[in-house]
Amino acid sequence: MIERPPASDFLTEMFRNSLDAGYAEAARRRAQRGPDPWRRRLTGQLARGLVLVATGFLLVVAYHQTVAGRPEVSRVRAGLVTDVRDRQHETDLLQQQADRLRDEVSKERDAALAAAGTDAGAIDRLELATGTGKVRGPGTVVRLGDAAPPVDPVTGKPTGKNLGVVLDRDLQRVTNELWRDGAEAISINGERLSAISTIRTAGSTILVDFRPISSPYLVTAIGPEDLDQRFNDSRTGQLFRALASQYGMQVAVDRKGELTLAAAPDPQLHYARPVPSQSPSTPPSGSPGTPVPSSPGGH
Amino acid sequence: MFAVLALLVGVVLGAIFEPSVPLVLQPYLPIAVVAALDAVFGGIRAKLDGIFDDKQFVVSFVSNVLVAGLIVFLGDKLGVGTQLSTGVVVVLGVRIFGNVAGIRRRLFRA
Repeated sequence: MIERPPASDFLTEMFRNSLDAGYAEAARRRAQRGPDPWRRRLTGQLARGLVLVATGFLLVVAYHQTVAGRPEVSRVRAGLVTDVRDRQHETDLLQQQADRLRDEVSKERDAALAAAGTDAGAIDRLELATGTGKVRGPGTVVRLGDAAPPVDPVTGKPTGKNLGVVLDRDLQRVTNELWRDGAEAISINGERLSAISTIRTAGSTILVDFRPISSPYLVTAIGPEDLDQRFNDSRTGQLFRALASQYGMQVAVDRKGELTLAAAPDPQLHYARPVPSQSPSTPPSGSPGTPVPSSPGGH
Repeated sequence: MFAVLALLVGVVLGAIFEPSVPLVLQPYLPIAVVAALDAVFGGIRAKLDGIFDDKQFVVSFVSNVLVAGLIVFLGDKLGVGTQLSTGVVVVLGVRIFGNVAGIRRRLFRA
């Protein structure tokens, strides 16, 4: 029997006597009542065995979870990250190659047109308007950034939904406003917008022309000198100032004297074709309204 | 002997099946392990003191694991999950230390 000092308070008791008091009590009861019948003892032994099996099981499972499980998670994650980086690098290289080839093609075409005595400037002007050519000029850069995620002041963990995250809708609003304010060429994070560009969301990533872009988003626009002023005075400008002050979204509008925008990828048009009467450069091929099997001579 | 054997059976079972713990239960696993260890060390000490009781052992194991899990669950809901788990680990750790000290005194008379 262990002597039990009078219980003063919980903590002292816990430090002085860590054995469950129940054991002593059970022993006292047993001493009064005499030994348990064998059947009761057998069930007790079985239960004890089961608990010990459960303990061993628990130990191994916990071991697997903490020691064996964690590295696998980080390994898979690291593998995925390098995979994504590799692919991004690949696409960048292909993009550069495409840009180079596009330059080459336009150079060759200009040379061929000059040799044939046709006006090469007409195509340049068309490229300027459709966004398939590189352009430069004065303009404005609108910079949008996600707000810092809200943090629980006690635990330091992120809490709730971050309302200051830039959505595809925000980028659409900004570009629409810039077009309205007289912008002539716009690119978002280096992705030039053309007549068939899309700005949309997949999961939590914004895609411009199916290429993923991430915060901070730079909407670069070439347009009139006072483009930034016009943007700031518009309702959209007010809206984004409100988003910045209320939800912490990072918004900056800067005037730039000289901007260079890359060319948009050549739109691959399969169904649209020129109406003969409105484009005298194209030779009339069949009467209007009759389906043409393929678009001859491109667009 | 019987106890060690049962423990080993549990270890082997766990090694064979390697069950994957559902994500919901994962935060409770370490706490459950500490609680189980507390019950086991308490049992060993009682055994050495000659007052071991099967019913007491089983009940203390089950209630330890359940109460520890419940406290962590409540803490999570209240936003103080980490602090409460620390508290549970400290209390159970003190008890484990006390029981191990008792076992040591019994075995080595020191």
